[in-house]
Amino acid sequence: MSQVLHPIEQKILRSLLEKQNVTPEELVENTQLSIDQVRRGIEWLKFKDLIRVTESEKSFVKLGARGKEALEKGLPERQLVGYLKSIPVSSCEMNQAKDYLKNEFSPAIANAKKNKWIEIYENRILLKGYHDATSEERIIKTIASNPNATAVDKIDDKEALDSLKKRPGFLDFASTKYTTVNITEKGISEAQNTSQVADDSTKRAIDVEAPAPIAFAAKSHPLADVIDEVREIFVSLGFAELVGNSAQSCFWNFDALFIPQDHPAREMQDTFYLKDMNAKSVATPKQIKQVSMAHKNGWHYDWRVDAAKKMVLRTHTTCVTIRELADKKYDEARLFSIGRVYRNEKVSYKHLVEFNQVEGVVVGQNVTLRDLMGLQMEFYRKMGIKKAKFWPTFFPYTEPSLQSMIYNERLGKWVELFGMGIFRPEVTRPLGIKNPVLAWGGGIERIAMLRYGLDDVRELYNNKFSWLRSVPKCQ
Amino acid sequence: MPVVTLYFNRISKMLGRKVSKEKIISTLPFLGLDIEEETSDHINVEYSPNRPDFSTDYGVVTGLQGLLEIKLGMPLLKIKKGKNTIKVDSSVGKIRPYVVAIEAIGGKLDDETIRQIITMQEDLHNGIGRRRKKVSIGIHDLDKIKFPLVYKAVERTHRFVPLNSQNAMAISEILEKTETGVTYKHLLESNKVPIIMDLAGNTISFPPIINSKLTEVTSKSKNLLVEVTANDKNAADDVLAVVAYALQNAGFKLHSVRILGPRNSTPKLESRKMLLDPVLVNGMLGLDLTLSIMIKSLRKNRLDAKVKGKQILCLIPRYRTDIFGPIDLVEEVALGYGIEKMEYTIPPAKSAGQKNKTTVALEAVRDTMIGLGCLEVMNFGLVGKQTQYDMTKRDSSGIISVADSKSQEHQILRDMILPGLIDTLSRNIHEPYPQKIFETGTVFHRGNPIHEEIHLACASAYNEVSYTEIKSVLQSLLKSGFDIACTTKNSQNSLFIEGRTADILVNGKMIGTIGELSPQVLDNFKMRVPVAGFEIKLTGLIFD
Repeated sequence: MSQVLHPIEQKILRSLLEKQNVTPEELVENTQLSIDQVRRGIEWLKFKDLIRVTESEKSFVKLGARGKEALEKGLPERQLVGYLKSIPVSSCEMNQAKDYLKNEFSPAIANAKKNKWIEIYENRILLKGYHDATSEERIIKTIASNPNATAVDKIDDKEALDSLKKRPGFLDFASTKYTTVNITEKGISEAQNTSQVADDSTKRAIDVEAPAPIAFAAKSHPLADVIDEVREIFVSLGFAELVGNSAQSCFWNFDALFIPQDHPAREMQDTFYLKDMNAKSVATPKQIKQVSMAHKNGWHYDWRVDAAKKMVLRTHTTCVTIRELADKKYDEARLFSIGRVYRNEKVSYKHLVEFNQVEGVVVGQNVTLRDLMGLQMEFYRKMGIKKAKFWPTFFPYTEPSLQSMIYNERLGKWVELFGMGIFRPEVTRPLGIKNPVLAWGGGIERIAMLRYGLDDVRELYNNKFSWLRSVPKCQ
Repeated sequence: MPVVTLYFNRISKMLGRKVSKEKIISTLPFLGLDIEEETSDHINVEYSPNRPDFSTDYGVVTGLQGLLEIKLGMPLLKIKKGKNTIKVDSSVGKIRPYVVAIEAIGGKLDDETIRQIITMQEDLHNGIGRRRKKVSIGIHDLDKIKFPLVYKAVERTHRFVPLNSQNAMAISEILEKTETGVTYKHLLESNKVPIIMDLAGNTISFPPIINSKLTEVTSKSKNLLVEVTANDKNAADDVLAVVAYALQNAGFKLHSVRILGPRNSTPKLESRKMLLDPVLVNGMLGLDLTLSIMIKSLRKNRLDAKVKGKQILCLIPRYRTDIFGPIDLVEEVALGYGIEKMEYTIPPAKSAGQKNKTTVALEAVRDTMIGLGCLEVMNFGLVGKQTQYDMTKRDSSGIISVADSKSQEHQILRDMILPGLIDTLSRNIHEPYPQKIFETGTVFHRGNPIHEEIHLACASAYNEVSYTEIKSVLQSLLKSGFDIACTTKNSQNSLFIEGRTADILVNGKMIGTIGELSPQVLDNFKMRVPVAGFEIKLTGLIFD
């Protein structure tokens, strides 16, 4: 089965068809790709078994200290020849030459003799014959002509190299690991299947009236836009933002809100409990005692602190609000929070297991149910929701409790939006909150669905680029 | 939420006055009932379990009569003193200690009445009854029973013919072979189990599991016995009151059944008295209602109310288990008065609002990422193990799981955002490239007991993507967004290609990882283009 290869892979394969056994650096030359692209392409092709990568070693040679000296002054034997040429009759005593050449004397004599450049006669050195450049001298020049180390296998005269290698200090050898790339059988057939890209860069007049392609503007997520909008409205109405953790103890998620420990909403069918996790401490001893009393008096059962210590993923953001109110005991406050909440539900077009909730509270001595409704209407007006009304409902921690219904123009019906109420005395009194607390909240996804005309809430989290890229920023 | 079915022709007769279908439908929400389904002859409404009296159409009609001003004030429960007795044996004391009962005499049971009673029974079992753990109800044909009854514990070898069976079965057999036995056997922890036996030695009930075949209620039954067994005496009385009101409304006369035995007593089902301060009402609602309007509003919600000094004395029928204190009566006033009549007020703000510092910093991160050409995506924090660990070849030893999730894709808390981004890319392989995306969000680690922090992850996918490019995004974000310089140090990470991944450091502290995604990982996600990405911890870097 032929696979889809991207252009980098195609270029590398085609190049390997022409020349095998190459290094990545050579591939850069052959393909005109960058070294990054070649390296990555190699990883990919190797993984697909289209190429075989072999790690090998390669020897390089440079001039050693004596080699560099020889390059400047000549090899010792050449120096000897030069010396002999410079003196009368071109001959001297052995000792004279020894004084001139010092340490280089012995190799100079030996090699000059080997090259048949001198004869030794009764302790005198006599110059003779022709003194052409030797193969060793040529190698020194070749190596010196390359600013970097020279690959050993690039030097043809192995005999001369060997003999120079035997003379200590002239050459330094080093070896480097290197990679060679070869195409596999599978790669050959893949490369042959790959079509050649036509390169047509002829400049000519163009149709300037033709539509141009759409560029995709990078932008924020549509749901994030709604969240930001909700936040701005709360801030404009004088509310300060709270943030809190998603993982909470049952104490703050349920007990502090007067939800009895055997309440069905606390069961695992509805709430996500974190496996084997208990809070080390949940609240102050006084808070625990007072809340426990409220449960005993209101619900007539033995309240257990270990059940309150179990950790859950918060089912609402009210746990964050109530804790703030219990800790700070405001006489007056306007607070809000926006965050993820979790419900153990079957995911459907209506329900997600995780969604964003906004929650607002107003604390004040004289706040009323009419204020609560008025703040709702103001919020909806700012969100562009024109028709809203209130119906009674039930929540364990508020009394009176209402739900707001808003008119969905597209569906032509009333839909539930927020739940709200005034915190029950069984909630506020044990935590030392003196003044009435108006509280309301609901899912932001529901507002986003209205805004973007969605019927399936899952679409908000599908991250379909076609939708994210096309949905207008301003609606 | 439980559902009650209302047939229009049936409730029209019960209301006692001609009321249009439209009026009924528009009034129901003001009883706190949510309309779930509407057909030509009936309507299904959801009710909150705190109002168990709405578990039959009788209870809903009682409520409607009030709001429509057909009948006001508290409906009376008329219970004649009966002659029959249930003796409670001390053997049930540690198993299921309480029983209460009532007789319903001379009624007529048509199919719909039977259906209403059965759904009420189920709803009460699930609601107040806490799936029969706290309370369970048995309804019997009274004429098949020889009094007195005894409520006692027996061995599991005890035999009788249960409902829906032809033959006698041992208790142990019933628990293994019948549907309710299997569902509720976990409620019976001790060796002995409770039964109710009559004078003839017939077992009539095996609470909280099943009734006997002998006393089965049919459309021919004229007289009924309702027995309620419980672990909580108060809850047993609550349930009995709800059933008693329903049966009285269905045309039965009620007779009490005497209960004898340790810790038990004959239930009185009396109404409760409660004082309501009008100052509380007007203060909470923001209204200026007179005492007489408050009293009428309460009576519309089928409570009795009269002036007592400067206060209102309320009488609350026994079935209104949802009323805890005066604040609950405030709501009754509001609903009786009509929330639709209340004008809205907007209290003035005393100080300016403000965003949290974390939000402000996150907005800056998101703006800068968008400026760098990245599209924002949003994924869940509660994810599947497969994408988070298996497909990304990551170490799952610190995994945090939730119990009993209904979905494979939502079982663990993410400790990293990047796997989700690769998953997002893999779902968009048919969309034009390049694809550059980012996400900010909460990740979770084990701590004391759990540690939450906010991360940013970014991924770029297209043929020419490189380490250098993604590092440029990272450096530019930190530099132009927050004037933070970062360095990258060679490291190893199974997510990335060896030699093309690094730790990200700021002032020598590791804040994240960066690299080109390994081909194996991309292959697991069926990705066909290379991907480079990074993830950094924002908590502690740009906010606390």
